[in-house]
Amino acid sequence: MSTHTNIARCFIVPPYLLDHIAKLDDPRLEHASHAAQRALASAPPYATVRRGEPAPGQKSMRSTPEAPRREAVAGEPSRFISDAGGSENLPGRLVRSEGESPTADDSVNEAYDGLGDTYSLFWEAFTRDSIDDNGMPLAATVHYGEAYDNAFWDGTQMVFGDGDGQVFVGFTNSLSVIGHELAHGVTQYTANLVYSGQSGALNESVSDVFGALVEQHSRGHSADEASWLIGEGIFSAEVEGQALRSMKAPGTAYDDDVLGKDPQPADMSGYIETDDDNGGVHLNSGIPNRAFYLTATAIGGNAWESAGRIWYETLTTEIKANTDFAQFAEATATVAARLFGDDSSEADAVRSAWREVGVTSPAE
Amino acid sequence: MKVTVTRSGGFAGLSTRWEVRVDEQPDEDAWLSLLRDLPWDAERRQAPQPDRYTYRIRCEPVPAARPEPREAVIGEQSLTGGWRELVDRVRSLDPSPERATPSRRDRGTSSTF
Repeated sequence: MSTHTNIARCFIVPPYLLDHIAKLDDPRLEHASHAAQRALASAPPYATVRRGEPAPGQKSMRSTPEAPRREAVAGEPSRFISDAGGSENLPGRLVRSEGESPTADDSVNEAYDGLGDTYSLFWEAFTRDSIDDNGMPLAATVHYGEAYDNAFWDGTQMVFGDGDGQVFVGFTNSLSVIGHELAHGVTQYTANLVYSGQSGALNESVSDVFGALVEQHSRGHSADEASWLIGEGIFSAEVEGQALRSMKAPGTAYDDDVLGKDPQPADMSGYIETDDDNGGVHLNSGIPNRAFYLTATAIGGNAWESAGRIWYETLTTEIKANTDFAQFAEATATVAARLFGDDSSEADAVRSAWREVGVTSPAE
Repeated sequence: MKVTVTRSGGFAGLSTRWEVRVDEQPDEDAWLSLLRDLPWDAERRQAPQPDRYTYRIRCEPVPAARPEPREAVIGEQSLTGGWRELVDRVRSLDPSPERATPSRRDRGTSSTF
């Protein structure tokens, strides 16, 4: 896959951040400071804050003897939370860096903790060292915009609005939302699924899958104990709804006088062809979301250990940017057979899940 | 003449529609001037960013001499200058927007796989 050139182009850490980090003299942040100084000194396009300087196509320098000494230990995140103060200027003012104490601002602390929980899932379950698997700093901005009802990934960092207070009460309240945004970064660095139509719905679904897994992993919930909800806690009390999406039962997350009813389809018979929302990427994601839920609950236990492993391997090794639902289904089945055996209950669970949501036909 | 702004996408995937009747505005000329100067036919190639909004801005009919409605689809990150001004104006004049599920594309049978 030729994603490395794209990565080099899109993933430059903003100079303001490098500059700030480079000037830190807190001994706890020495590693980050050194990394930033090196990045500032190095020439584009590899002026990213990376631990070691892997050549394109090379995953990591961790075992290379002549690599520069790692300033930080793999397995530890480097988080940087900024405050946009209600403006739309990114990244805003840096308010909490890795290792610093909590601030008086709940949104800042929720983002900091949520990024830590997300890092932990990827490291502990998949041995992935941050978004780029090379210790990339995790940057997030809170208090973006005025009554801004959204959270997004801009290609370099996560951004969270406060909500309007009537329908949405802030987007850092939900760990699954934070995990979802960071997972967009992981997808960008791996399969780089095109954000339109079916590949876009897969991009969305993968973010929901890992967002849900971050929450489950952090709470110690098995597949049976999990809520399988995305965005629990971001609606105000006025809204008739539990969350934004349900992976278990797409289309049932909310039914409200103002918002209407959750429009997600639960299987291919409800697939929505639309020009809105980049071809319905937040709508049709319900179909692969439910396939993941069905797989995870059929296998049982902790979803990140089995179904999550299959989806992670699929995303990082098996698919291309323009993969559609049917190709993704086939890829997960291939990976499940490779990891657990063709006759395994895991592989059966995967195949059965895609049949149940109508992506593959009963005859297959 | 009316201007419709439909915002879709975003993390929530909720669609919201604001609408303004331009011919009912006291500053109709200013509206017409703003609408006329917008680059409706400009090519917009910016790649979508995950979870950002998409704006569909529709004006029908404008200008008066032109029978066809004009429409532009713009990603949130490209909504700047006159486009941003137009969207902000429309939103400020329609305090109770319509929440809508995204419009389905009309294409007969839905063959998706």
